[in-house]
This record gives sequence, structure tokens and C-alpha cells, in this order.
Amino acid sequence: MTIGEAAEALRRRRYSALELTTSALARIERANPTLRAFITVTAEEALEQARRADAELAAGKDRGPLQGIPVAVKDVFHTRGVATTGGSPIYRNFVPSEDAAAVARLKAAGAVLLGKLNMHELAYGITSANPHFGAVTNPWNGKHSPGGSSGGSGAAVAAGLVYAALGTDTGGSIRIPASFCGTVGLKPTYGRVSRRGVMPLSWSLDHVGPLAASVRDAALVLNAIAGHDPGDDSSARRPVVDYVPDECPVRGLRVGFPENFFFDRLDADVELAVRGAIARLESLGAQVKPVKLPDIAALNAVGRVILLCEASAMMEPHLKNRGQFGADVLALLDQGRLLPATDYLHAQRLRKRMQREFAQVWPAVDCLVTPTTPNTAPRIGQAAVKLAGREEDVRLATTRLVRSLNLLGLPALSIPCGLSGEGLPIGLQIIGPAFEESLILRVGAALEDGGVGVPHAPML
Amino acid sequence: MKDWPSIANAAGLDIPAKEAARYCQTLDSLEEVFRPLAHTLTPEMEPAFAFQADPEQA
Repeated sequence: MTIGEAAEALRRRRYSALELTTSALARIERANPTLRAFITVTAEEALEQARRADAELAAGKDRGPLQGIPVAVKDVFHTRGVATTGGSPIYRNFVPSEDAAAVARLKAAGAVLLGKLNMHELAYGITSANPHFGAVTNPWNGKHSPGGSSGGSGAAVAAGLVYAALGTDTGGSIRIPASFCGTVGLKPTYGRVSRRGVMPLSWSLDHVGPLAASVRDAALVLNAIAGHDPGDDSSARRPVVDYVPDECPVRGLRVGFPENFFFDRLDADVELAVRGAIARLESLGAQVKPVKLPDIAALNAVGRVILLCEASAMMEPHLKNRGQFGADVLALLDQGRLLPATDYLHAQRLRKRMQREFAQVWPAVDCLVTPTTPNTAPRIGQAAVKLAGREEDVRLATTRLVRSLNLLGLPALSIPCGLSGEGLPIGLQIIGPAFEESLILRVGAALEDGGVGVPHAPML
Repeated sequence: MKDWPSIANAAGLDIPAKEAARYCQTLDSLEEVFRPLAHTLTPEMEPAFAFQADPEQA
């Protein structure tokens, strides 16, 4: 059931919010020992919020489609009175006194918060094999990673434990788990959703966004959380719109098909599925145009320098106690401390120039379509992937097609577009100009309506 | 190629030499792409952030 369907069922009194919540909590109890998607389940608070939603709806107080809908958030979002660990023992006992802005907005929309989701330690990695809270597993195949860093968010949505989840994306951390778990994941434009009350990893690259079972569900969540927040320096003042696509015409839309970089060294199943989805867009009337993009490898390198420096600055006070960190995270934090301040400044200067260069693409096309990841979900613990005959570090391969969009701050949507021969989901990425979330959601919904997607995860 | 273990040592960072040595390959490959880009910068190119002197704007 989608959020839209559940919202209608609540208003027709076919279900109550309490029933939806009780049922979701039962599924979590059954599945979480295997999935390890949740770090904290807030059952009592959730039941109370559900009762309140039922009472309000009965009294005619309608807060909109998220009212009474069970959701959860990655454990980097501050939640008043509920531990917020960041997936790290450093913050194991940290209990915020305020909700993050996005959490407050979800609550104001009447959503029922079921708890806090597991993640890659400190959101600094793509496997969600958390050494402190357990490795999150993929609902499609428990031997495989759900991706990360918002791995608990992807797994919980794919397994039907929640209707939607919030994640964060600094170098692909919403879109990668969406791709690997067969869900929709949206990284909005930088500044579209407030970062206030979210544990930072990299101030200038962090984004907040939803993971959901459908494009329209993701749009419903974006409707609730988007908008200016004076408490976040990077928050945009540009007005929000209704992001939920109603009609989804793509006829005449100019869809850019990158000639360079994005289709290099792909898993054969990924390439087949993504090209199939692009052909579907064309059959729906879109005009697919080949387009030459600026140097994406250079963008990725610049993005890595910024991330390494900002993350190390952020965590430096804790680096005296090296035993608190998992080996992979510690290695990245060490590397960031070895880069000079001049490189950080050079990277931020290059970023500005590259942003201007990339903007030259938009007069020619309305959006771009690419694979989200060149590979499907690797096995838990897998260190390298072989793509087009070449061994590649699994982290660098997995972030290869997503990282540049964090540097550019552009909105990017991942939707499922098929299964590999192994039965693992494949993600398609739709990229738009800044603040054009409506457009990429419309393209995603057109594909979804046109039959592009995946069935439910076997675990569901 | 930079001598990363020596850089760590000179900066007084508490990174064990053995671990710093393990980072060499990753950092060298990043250098290989990043350094030529940095050399293309000209003085008028400012970083992608701005300090606001007015606290109301900051």
C-alpha cells in the first residue's frame, strides 16, 4: 500500500492509524533481528502519535496525507528525548532536547515516527556494515549490502517496515541504498530541505531527503519537509511548490543521455535495464538527446577533497580515541587530516567553476538520465567489484555516478528500473537543474506509471 | 608522489606510520587527478562560500 492509498484508507475508516502502526511494529519485531534496520524503536511514542492522529481525523482536523502514516528517520536526525547515535559509540548516549527541522515538519504533518534507523557509522561510507550496531542486510538477499550510508532507511522501506524514511546524502547516501534496495530515493537541491538538527558529516555537501516505495510517496514527504528555515545558513528562500506529480506528460521533454562517463564500465545487467528505461521514456514521447558533460571524474575528485577535509574537521575532537571508530571510517578521517588547507580552498574554488561549466548543459536538455550505481548491491564485506573486466574499490565504484551531484547541489532522483540476473534491484538516476524537483519527480512518475520498476522485495 | 607518513609525522598527527603508509595509494591517486586541476586556478576564482560581515545575513 502506498502512502496515498493508506491516507485514503484512513479517511474512509477502513483502517485506523493505530492499526497501521501496530501492524508496522509487528513487522519490525519480526524482521529487524535479520535486517538490523532499526537502532531504536519508539513503540510507545508511536502508538501515542497514532492515537492522536486517529482522534484528530475523527474530529475533522486533517493535517494532510502523512497524518497517521508510520515512518522512520536515519539515526543522524535529532529527535527530542530519543537517543541519536549517528551510528557511532561516540554519541550512544546523546539524547537531543529538540527535533531536527525535518523531523519537526514530519511530526507537524501528523506522521507517526516508529524509530531511528541504522546506517553506516557517522554516515561515512556506503555499506551500512556498522561495527557497533550490526550490519544492515538487504531485503532482496540477506547476504548483500543494502548500500549506505542510509542503509537502514533503504532496507526498512524495501521490507515494508515503514511507508517512508528520511535519509541524508553527502556523496550518494540516499540514492545508493535506494538503488540497491529497489526503492525510490530523492536527494533534493542543496538548501531545499533544512539540515538543522542533522549530525553533519560535510557541511557543504550534506543533503536531507526521503526514501519511499513510490515516486509520489517520495514527493509527499518532500512536500512536508521542504522549505526555508532561518536556522540553517544554507537554506534556500525560493518558494516551495506541490511536488506530487498529478499528470505526468513527458511528451517533448528533452532528456539528456550522457555520451561520456556515466555509461562507462557498467555491470551488463545495469546497462541493459537503464537503456530499457530510457527507451521507455522515448516511447512515452520524450526526446532523448545525446549530451556531452563536463569532466565528471574531476568533479568526483574535487568532491572527495572537500568531503575528506570537512569530515575530518568535524570529527577531529574525537580522534584522540581511535578505538571508537571502525577501521574504514578511521582511515578516511586520517586521510582528511593529511590534506592541506590550501587543497580544501582550491577544491571550493574549482567547485564554483565546475558549477558554472555544468550549467551550460541545461539550455540543451531539461534533465539527464543515468544509472544510479554502475553495480548492483555487493555482498556484505565485499571490498572490490569487477566492472568491464577491471577491479574497482567497491566504495569508489558505488559512488562514481552519484558524488558529483552533491558537489553541484543538483536534485537527483533514483528509481528502481529492473532486476539483475541475480535478482537484485537496479537504479536509474534522473538529474535536474537546481530546484527542479517537480520535473524529475514527474519523469520518475511517468516511468513508474509506464511500468518501469521492480516487484516487492522477497522479504515483504 | 608525496611521503604521506612523513607528512603525518611532521604535522604531529597521531597516525601510526603503518596506517599512514596504507593510505598512500588512495591519496596518491586522488592527487593525480586533483593537482592538475588545482594548477588551472587563476587568482580571481574565489571559493564556493562567502563570509557575511553582517551577522543578520550570516
